[in-house]
Amino acid sequence: MKRRDFLKTGVLAGAAVSLNFEGLQAALSSNTIAVEKAPDLVAVMGGEPGVMLDKALEALGGIGNYIKKGQKVVIKPNVGWDRTPELAGNTNPDLIKALVKKCIDAGASKVTVFDHTCDNWQKCYESSGIASAVKEAGGIMMPGHDEKYYKDVDLPGGKSLKSAKIHEALLEADAWINVPVLKNHGGAKLSCAMKNYMGIVWDRRVFHQNDLQQCIADICTWTKKPVLNIVDAYRMMHQNGPQGKSLADVATLKSMIVSPNIVAVDTAALGLFNQVKKLEIDAVGHIAKGEEFKLGTTNLGKLTIRRIRI
Amino acid sequence: MMRGKLLKWSRVLLAALFFLPILLLFVDFVDLIPDKLSRLLHLQLVSALLAGMFGIVVLQLVLALVFGRMYCSVLCPAGVLQDILNRLYCIGKKKKKGSRRFSYHKPMNRLRYGLLIATAGFAVFGFTGLLMLLDPYSNFGRIAANLFRPVVMWGNNIAADALMKMDNYSLYHVTVTTVTTSGLIAGGLALLLFAVMVALRGRLFCNTLCPVGSFLGLISRYSLFRVSFKESDCIQCRKCEFSCKAEAIDAKKMTVDTSRCVACFNCLGTCSKDALTFSRKPSRKSIRSATGQAMPVDAFAVNNPNGRRHFLATTAAIAGSVPVASVLAESIGVGKSKEEIKKWPPVTPPGSLSVERFKDKCTACHICVVQCPSHVLRPAGMEHGFGYLLRPQMAYIDSYCNYECTVCSEVCPTGAIKPLTKEEKKTTQIGIARFMIDLCIVKTEKTDCGACSEHCPTQAVHMVPYEGTLTIPNVIEDLCVGCGGCESICPVRPVRAIIVESNKTHAFIELPDEEEVKEVRVDDFGF
Repeated sequence: MKRRDFLKTGVLAGAAVSLNFEGLQAALSSNTIAVEKAPDLVAVMGGEPGVMLDKALEALGGIGNYIKKGQKVVIKPNVGWDRTPELAGNTNPDLIKALVKKCIDAGASKVTVFDHTCDNWQKCYESSGIASAVKEAGGIMMPGHDEKYYKDVDLPGGKSLKSAKIHEALLEADAWINVPVLKNHGGAKLSCAMKNYMGIVWDRRVFHQNDLQQCIADICTWTKKPVLNIVDAYRMMHQNGPQGKSLADVATLKSMIVSPNIVAVDTAALGLFNQVKKLEIDAVGHIAKGEEFKLGTTNLGKLTIRRIRI
Repeated sequence: MMRGKLLKWSRVLLAALFFLPILLLFVDFVDLIPDKLSRLLHLQLVSALLAGMFGIVVLQLVLALVFGRMYCSVLCPAGVLQDILNRLYCIGKKKKKGSRRFSYHKPMNRLRYGLLIATAGFAVFGFTGLLMLLDPYSNFGRIAANLFRPVVMWGNNIAADALMKMDNYSLYHVTVTTVTTSGLIAGGLALLLFAVMVALRGRLFCNTLCPVGSFLGLISRYSLFRVSFKESDCIQCRKCEFSCKAEAIDAKKMTVDTSRCVACFNCLGTCSKDALTFSRKPSRKSIRSATGQAMPVDAFAVNNPNGRRHFLATTAAIAGSVPVASVLAESIGVGKSKEEIKKWPPVTPPGSLSVERFKDKCTACHICVVQCPSHVLRPAGMEHGFGYLLRPQMAYIDSYCNYECTVCSEVCPTGAIKPLTKEEKKTTQIGIARFMIDLCIVKTEKTDCGACSEHCPTQAVHMVPYEGTLTIPNVIEDLCVGCGGCESICPVRPVRAIIVESNKTHAFIELPDEEEVKEVRVDDFGF
């Protein structure tokens, strides 16, 4: 039973029985409702990217809970490198294709996709398969290679980073979805949802100059938060990241982790990463710093997690 | 006149067919033009000579021997550019001040052959500076790359901004990054020189400074087909002389200096009496049999026998001074390098084999600069001495050499950058990353960074454990190709903590063994 259906029946039942709203409130806070509540985090394993996305969104009550009709939507994958999908340097194009379609089906007025790439942007867009995936799904692939596309934004909540130039597609967006690929990272140790924010800014040098881990947490304090973080762990680069050298760096996990809670999604992703390679959460400094900023929790025990195997 | 006009417009059409693709190659910043089109550049005489494409050289010689200096009017982009400048100059002017403003001048043989011999002589002795400065194609390249291209890019940006408002990203914003001060000055001066010379005396450059023009002139002197007078039809209106931008027609004497004629056929188009023809030179027999009244067709050579003599005399004079000059040039070089002994030599592109070889073979046409998808090649100023002036170097300021890319080696017309396969490219080490730990942020600030390792395609720069959870870069020299990924992204200023030191002679590394792909099975989420 979906949450909305449950509430509807609950309201009807409550009204029918006594027209007593106190009774309804009691019902809402009762245990039975807590069980039916949408999960805080969904993890899926064992399917193709599009199928796993379907399952995850279904568990979360449908894309309609996050994307409303007429909204301008931005999807931000990781397209950092001139690498083919098999090498797992970038977000899976099949996932992006399915997600763009979902947003359009949900009534988004336009769906824009971009990344501030590390390698030559055209090569990245092409080799990753993301540009063609977006095109096929009916989205707009926007460039992000020139300072011209970025505008100054204040980050009053930041510690080291007090402002940044952010891509204008995001500034104009009504909602955005953060779609990182899970991988090893030489500098930040782990590249996932929080680290993926580095692709929305123009000047990354200041990040490296002023405590990389702190700046990653700082940029995540930007007031316009992603409505969802969808971690692609279909293929995972467990070494030589973030660029990778060969297929030996890649493990096929056929997994996906989805949550609006960015710290939780990264913590969970780190757990999955540890299934292949040992990595302490302390080494991934930005996760704890994100929790300090109250961007989310590393305590997964406190959350409702739905685990789905296909 | 009709036939003359037909010849002239055929020449114009042919010129456009060669000029436009070459121009597009230089101004195309979105890589629309296929790289293969750059083979057109192999037709350039100096490029073909340097690349050792003697088939093309012979072809050009034969062409010149048959048709005269058609090369200068059709194949040479600098020649065509001068014709365009001439057209622009004529706009709004009456014919007398515009298209018919020229008049016959004597050839400046000492100057042109002197320069030709000096250029060739220096080049043979390994000093290609003069060739680089005078080669017409390279000058055109520098003008197109450093002046025309930015203009096209700015135009694009205006259009892209307009389209962006409509959510159309078929055009995108671009930033001009490859134009250096030296490149801008070189392009600007060349364009100014062309413009001034064209305005004053038409194709003066081609008949004084241009080594290709002078060289072809030596051959076209004997060309089989040539422009000549049918004296009986000439009414001495001198329109042909006034319209000759090479200033090679002396209408009074009814001579055409074929060593300077660039076979543009403007004269044929203006002659209303068809008194000029482009036809086979009559054999000596017929000249001999000609009556005293009729001047021989190659009357110019008869009246001006000095050309060849000048050439020989100047050759001898310059040949004598070459050893001195080359010693002089060398000593200048040594003096400079001693001054800057601490400075590393420039990093040269993969395929150039060594700094010395590159210096000798590159004429700084900047086609590699404009074609490099990463915009990493930038023309040098005087920082590496005059010997390297305007030659492109790998500038890892904000970009680096793509691991898989071989574009520069494919487009280089002189062979200064030899064609490489992807495999060869990946094993060519143009330099080695030098890591200066005392400057590194991980050490000085005690924070994570790793930007250099992130960008290293071979993981020659990799992170090793440092204090606590920190990791710090380490370089495996045998894996480093010198692509500059690390240097371009290192956030330390003013001096970066990791800099590529060039290999004066490129080295070759072995590709690391392919790591075995291990099957990883994960059944649990781990949280």
